[in-house]
Amino acid sequence: MKSQDLMPVHTGAVIEDDVLTLGQLCHACGVHADWIVSLVEESIIEPQGEAIHVWHFTGASLVRVRSALRLQRDLGLNLPGIALVLDLMEELNTLRAQRKTN
Amino acid sequence: MQYKDYYKIMGLARNATQDEVKRAYRKLARKYHPDVSKEPNAEAKFKELGESYEVLKDPQKRAAYDKLGTNWKAGEEFRPPPNWDEGFEFKGGGFTGTDSSAFSDFFEQLFGHAGFSQANCGAQGFATRGQDSHAKIYINLEDSFLGATRNISLSAPEIDAHGNVQLKHRSLNIKIPKGIKPGQHIRLTGQGEPGSSGKAGDLLLEIAFNKHALYRVSETDIYLELPVTPWEAVLGATIKVPMPDGNIDLKIPPNSHQGTKLRLKDRGLPAKTPGDFFVVLQIALPPANTERAKAAYKNLQHELDFNPRLTLGVKRL
Repeated sequence: MKSQDLMPVHTGAVIEDDVLTLGQLCHACGVHADWIVSLVEESIIEPQGEAIHVWHFTGASLVRVRSALRLQRDLGLNLPGIALVLDLMEELNTLRAQRKTN
Repeated sequence: MQYKDYYKIMGLARNATQDEVKRAYRKLARKYHPDVSKEPNAEAKFKELGESYEVLKDPQKRAAYDKLGTNWKAGEEFRPPPNWDEGFEFKGGGFTGTDSSAFSDFFEQLFGHAGFSQANCGAQGFATRGQDSHAKIYINLEDSFLGATRNISLSAPEIDAHGNVQLKHRSLNIKIPKGIKPGQHIRLTGQGEPGSSGKAGDLLLEIAFNKHALYRVSETDIYLELPVTPWEAVLGATIKVPMPDGNIDLKIPPNSHQGTKLRLKDRGLPAKTPGDFFVVLQIALPPANTERAKAAYKNLQHELDFNPRLTLGVKRL
């Protein structure tokens, strides 16, 4: 028996698509709501729902918001630049995944 | 503590202008930024770069650093000379880098603890609850396909009572829910950073899949490239196909060709809306390494008179 077998097993909740509210997204990424709103205006992340108080974000938005934050802080990119980088990176990752493994 | 050559890290001469420092930083930052870099140790390189830039971009810190002299070699055991920082006014201001908690001992020895207190407060306006923390974990496709319990190790920089940064390691057993897909998150309530009111933040785990020898995953769909013989593809056949949960007998329809995609509905990742399993046919040519095999190919050539280049508009020789 390994020592890790003695530790409790944590069961988490899966963040399904379209479940994060604006407040949850802000808290999870440690950013201000104004900044999230400006990301939405730049179409960097796209919420479901018409008005801001019923906005819902996908779990994948978490990754994009945090990347956006780092790109802005570390490379000094503006929002259109961040949008372009994230879209190109996504395309690149898709292509890399499709490329044959051998 | 080891001496760090900030100029060498940034590829600069010691007499580089402030503009050159900035340009070198921008260029290297693009190359090593963990979000865009494909370099193997991008994150470590980027941290080192950030630290170098933090010193060299600030004329006061740079002057103080230069005063240490040029006789040091990178990695050499280092002790700052007494009163080396006399007359430099950077102590109060601290440093501005957001990730300064990750800077080296060398940096800390020279430029002090100021600023460490801000490194940890992070989010604005959420004083009551601790911040959520993030980690990416790699699982195998089978873990999602069948559900599993995995032990993961996490490490995070932590500031101790003396203001020193230390890497804190911990390990957690977590349940991998059946059907989770790459890019999805698991939220572990209360496993994030401690809050001022005692309520800790959450730990958010981003799921990524290890590369698999057989399968490729896209969202909830699984792809398998299946080698088949030319006659299996043309005449049709029933062949054994390895699925993540065991082999199945798959019927290849006659007149299939290279790249034909066969869909097994709902046999992908068992998510709430299950994905599909796709078999992509790859026609493998039998080698002609014996006289009999060559004769068989010649016979085929004679019997079929096949020209695959008709659409190219060139006549066969």
